[in-house]
Amino acid sequence: MNILNIEKISKSFGKNKVINDLSFSVPENSIFGFIGQNGAGKTTTMKMVLGLLKADSGKITVLGEPVVYGQTKTNKYIGYLPDVPEFYSYMTPKEYLKLCGDITGMDDKTIKIKSDELISLVGLDKANKRIGGFSRGMKQRLGIAQALLNEPQLLICDEPTSALDPKGRKEILDILSTVKGKTTVVFSTHILSDVERICDRVAVLHSGKLALAGTLPEIKAQHKNDSLIVEFAVLEELECFKAIINGCSLIKAVEELNKGIILHTYNILEAEAVVLSLLSKNNLLPLKLEVAEPTLENLFMEITA
Amino acid sequence: MKSYIAFTTKEFTEQLRTHKALIMFTVFLLFGIMNPVTAKLTPIILEMFMPEGVEITLGDPTALDSWAQFFKNIPQMGIFVLAIVFNGLMANEFTKGTLINILTKGLSRSTVILSKFSMAILLWTASYILCFAVSYGYTIYFWSNDIVYNLLFAVFVLWLFGVLIISLLLFGGVLFKNSYGSLLLTGTTVVIMFLINIVPILQKYNPVLLSSSNMDLLTGKMQPSDFTASIIVTTALTMTFIVVAIPIFNKKRI
Repeated sequence: MNILNIEKISKSFGKNKVINDLSFSVPENSIFGFIGQNGAGKTTTMKMVLGLLKADSGKITVLGEPVVYGQTKTNKYIGYLPDVPEFYSYMTPKEYLKLCGDITGMDDKTIKIKSDELISLVGLDKANKRIGGFSRGMKQRLGIAQALLNEPQLLICDEPTSALDPKGRKEILDILSTVKGKTTVVFSTHILSDVERICDRVAVLHSGKLALAGTLPEIKAQHKNDSLIVEFAVLEELECFKAIINGCSLIKAVEELNKGIILHTYNILEAEAVVLSLLSKNNLLPLKLEVAEPTLENLFMEITA
Repeated sequence: MKSYIAFTTKEFTEQLRTHKALIMFTVFLLFGIMNPVTAKLTPIILEMFMPEGVEITLGDPTALDSWAQFFKNIPQMGIFVLAIVFNGLMANEFTKGTLINILTKGLSRSTVILSKFSMAILLWTASYILCFAVSYGYTIYFWSNDIVYNLLFAVFVLWLFGVLIISLLLFGGVLFKNSYGSLLLTGTTVVIMFLINIVPILQKYNPVLLSSSNMDLLTGKMQPSDFTASIIVTTALTMTFIVVAIPIFNKKRI
């Protein structure tokens, strides 16, 4: 079942069309990576899902219920972590979670149990001071804690890792992996390694439209790579190889590496056979011969180019 | 109801921990002391600095002089302090983005406004009562309060004017999403009310009456019934500002 359905939404700010006829859906219990450049419209899309922004056209449903701009009932299913979560700086984390719990109508006992549990999950148990003195990373963790407080079925995180150091990033990603199974996670990012680390589905947003969507293996299979990497131990061998390969009709383009070469081919299998036979005929022994795996980064560059 | 109490509690915590409550209480306590003391000391000070040979006959100060100070200081300085303390009531939430978490948790936007309104009224009331109580204490200690009419009523109408100012500050904050807008709207509205006051037939309806003619009540020149029209207009305006602020807030992007 799909927890979130977006159908043909569009949104303009003035003359600037940010989202253009966007449709996608998020199945239950997945970690959904929402990728796009800065300004691609990721935050705008998320805010529309939360009813914080009004879509010009189209329909959004959360667990089958339509999202209404302004006061939306569907927010009771959603936990939201904004890109830069802002809290009341004069409160302590526990006081803040108590406020959040009271607002959502949880009873005092549940709030107590749940907030203790979440505070230790996000590693803030020793930070019993006012939020005003928190670092960015600590605020991000508190952000996750407040988003998970009412056990939402959908957790939406807007670039949760963008501003963090590598350690903080890893910790946030670990927390997101932990909640998988209980909660569906949608998170936007432009850090592709984060996506490869934890997401099982991705969607790439480019100029207001979905440029790519599906599970990671699916996407990689669709965009099978065409590149062959050949590396040599000494430069002379490389020069020699370059001379013999020059003019081969299967090679589209050539990219030079330090002691190697990347061959972009029209047909990877045929090209590989030709290269192998040429190598053996000329008695050249490469250090490495590899079919380059398509990386998300390459795909991303290809799409957004 | 639970969310209303929770958010109002949060508002009080904010006023306490950001020292706004302290500022209000201190300033109004000082006013409370100043009013009677100024009345008491003015003739003495004047006498001290009077050049040799110049004689002015000043009547001995009375309780009326003390209240004259009260009804001069609070409508001017007091209301000014109120505006300074509360102009960021809505604006700070907008500029800092602190409402995003709270609203996506399902708190209704009308609760936000009503919580802020109730908190501000309570803090204003408490500071105002403190000021009045101190002034009253000193006044009856120095003089007899027997010559003063309608004191409590005069104090009440000025309080009501303060509530109107609070609703204006909130309304301005929702409308413009920043504290300058809030102050500007409040300032402009007060100026307009003073301009309207030029037209004599409109004076009795004007909310300004509640903050400018209090001494006439005390001396018996005016009666409480003369204030009825103005009280009705002020209450209606206050309620309108708050009620209209809610749909406007509902449409605001945050």
